[in-house]
Amino acid sequence: MSATAAPAALPEAPRRPSPLRMLLRDAAAAASLVFVVLVVLAALLADVISPHDPFATDLMAIMQPPSAQYWLGTDGQGRDILSRMIHGLRVTLGMGLASLVAGGLLGALIGFMAAFYKRLDGLLMRLMDMLLSFPAILFGLALAAIFGPGLVSVVIALSIATVPLMARIVRGAALVVMGLDYIEAARAIGMSDARLILRHVAPNCLSPIFVFATLRLGQVILLGSALSFLGLGAQPPTAELGAMAAQGRNFLFIAPHISVIPSLGIFAIVLAFNVLGDALRDALDPKLRI
Amino acid sequence: MSAPLLEVAGLAKHYPVKRGLILAKQIGTVRAVDGVSFTLQRGETLALVGESGCGKSTTARLVLRLIEPSAGEVRFEGRDITSLDRADLKAFRRRAQIVFQDPYASLNPRYTVGRTIAEPMEVHGVRDEASRRARVEELLRLVGLAPYHAERFPHEFSGGQRQRIGIARALAVEPDLVVCDEPVSALDVSIQAQVVNLLADLQKRLGLAYLFIAHDLAVVKHVADRIAVMYLGKIVEIAEKRALFANPCHPYTRALLAAIPHPDPRRRGQVTPLGGDVPSPLNPPPGCRFHTRCPFARDICREKEPALANGVACHLAEELPPAGLDFSGGLAPNAAKRLALYAKAAENA
Repeated sequence: MSATAAPAALPEAPRRPSPLRMLLRDAAAAASLVFVVLVVLAALLADVISPHDPFATDLMAIMQPPSAQYWLGTDGQGRDILSRMIHGLRVTLGMGLASLVAGGLLGALIGFMAAFYKRLDGLLMRLMDMLLSFPAILFGLALAAIFGPGLVSVVIALSIATVPLMARIVRGAALVVMGLDYIEAARAIGMSDARLILRHVAPNCLSPIFVFATLRLGQVILLGSALSFLGLGAQPPTAELGAMAAQGRNFLFIAPHISVIPSLGIFAIVLAFNVLGDALRDALDPKLRI
Repeated sequence: MSAPLLEVAGLAKHYPVKRGLILAKQIGTVRAVDGVSFTLQRGETLALVGESGCGKSTTARLVLRLIEPSAGEVRFEGRDITSLDRADLKAFRRRAQIVFQDPYASLNPRYTVGRTIAEPMEVHGVRDEASRRARVEELLRLVGLAPYHAERFPHEFSGGQRQRIGIARALAVEPDLVVCDEPVSALDVSIQAQVVNLLADLQKRLGLAYLFIAHDLAVVKHVADRIAVMYLGKIVEIAEKRALFANPCHPYTRALLAAIPHPDPRRRGQVTPLGGDVPSPLNPPPGCRFHTRCPFARDICREKEPALANGVACHLAEELPPAGLDFSGGLAPNAAKRLALYAKAAENA
């Protein structure tokens, strides 16, 4: 055994931590991840975990401060705020994520097309400029006029409002990446345009996309709340965090918790998504994965 | 001599310059490459040298059809690649590859090294997964890296190592022609030598032909068989390496050679560098493009554009005194003073 010359052991490359492990190494990111998972679970299991019926009014107990029976108090019609918030998460998150994903994907596609096919660039970007010139609220009004007020109109309006922003960001990032030599090398190899975009251009545009998407999620949730507030989105008695905050404004001086608690909920969700998005971007960057 | 691997004839790339937002009007043309012709044999190295902006890199990209030429032909094994359809172009890409100047921009930072080197084989459907992996290891060894490097990302390597990775990627599909676009000019001098020697060694082993773009004549002197000198989008002189260094015919070539830094202090201060800047390719001077900076320019140079004849594009090629780099004029005053001081110090010691 010892007589035979063993081939020199090759030095092993150190094992690289997985993106998830990288994410959990950062305390704030780990906390955000746990929070986001809990929020999503709560939204999914709303019917099971809500202590009360979110629509049941208790006129003997309106505007109650937090108590043993109503943990977060009751609103102006005596409905349990905690139960309404848990049900409201469904609407708020669903609306925010749906419009972010729909608008973001379409915007990213347009951005990549504009960067990649010079001929389409002018046309596509002028279209995006046109969209940019309308405020999201106006889209909401127009769509509500066409389809009637409701969550579908809100999601469509917010998606359309997200498209040009994402398109601009993706186009800018893609133009930078496409000027680099490894794209030229990829072309010299003879790969298809689709492969070039999906494997080489898109992954290297992820950082700005992540930053924008997490910021935009917060904005979209707030915009959705604003539309609900104007009566174009979630219709009463639907529970939605923004609408709840809006409805509580009448009692801001006598029972501030009705407005403040849902607002804090929005704040915490938006913050958690922002921290998580930031950490996710870092975890997916091989340069920072050591 | 057998048929050349690569024949370039009258190759040109003109970029229109437009003004106006809606009804854009063409107000001029940048003649980045303007009628370049040369041939390259199998296993040969042709160096393309010239100042920045003279069209070397554009020529390199035209030869690989990474950009579409405005005019001219690029014949690879007799077939004009400027008119190939999609499928044939892909087949051509297996035969001709490129190595880039900047090793920090030429590797996808999100790909492991193994994936970068395996991708060309994947795209061309060469070999199966397992033997591709074996080939990646083989290529890594070939360029002086270790197989375990395949798992790593580009940012974990130095510039010289990255350049080796770039070379391995270019070799993955077993090309016959490799275009080297200033492959060492971004590297430290000590690393330059390693990479240049690696390229020379690979050429010997694999019979590669190199189109070697450079501005550093010292490197060119080491690797090239023949040298083409470019100025403002045109080749002004093309010759065997020895002939060019021993007897540069074009005044521009002479100026370039004279500008090579030399360790001998006696030669210092003897070279008159070229005055002025390279004129804009948007509006190249009429006649010989070099006449604005040429110390020998005459009337004919300002009026008539010289053709490339016997490897030189100059009206006065026959008349100019043979150049050589022999400076027999004695010492420059400063250098003489310093030498005298050294001699004195040595005496006293």
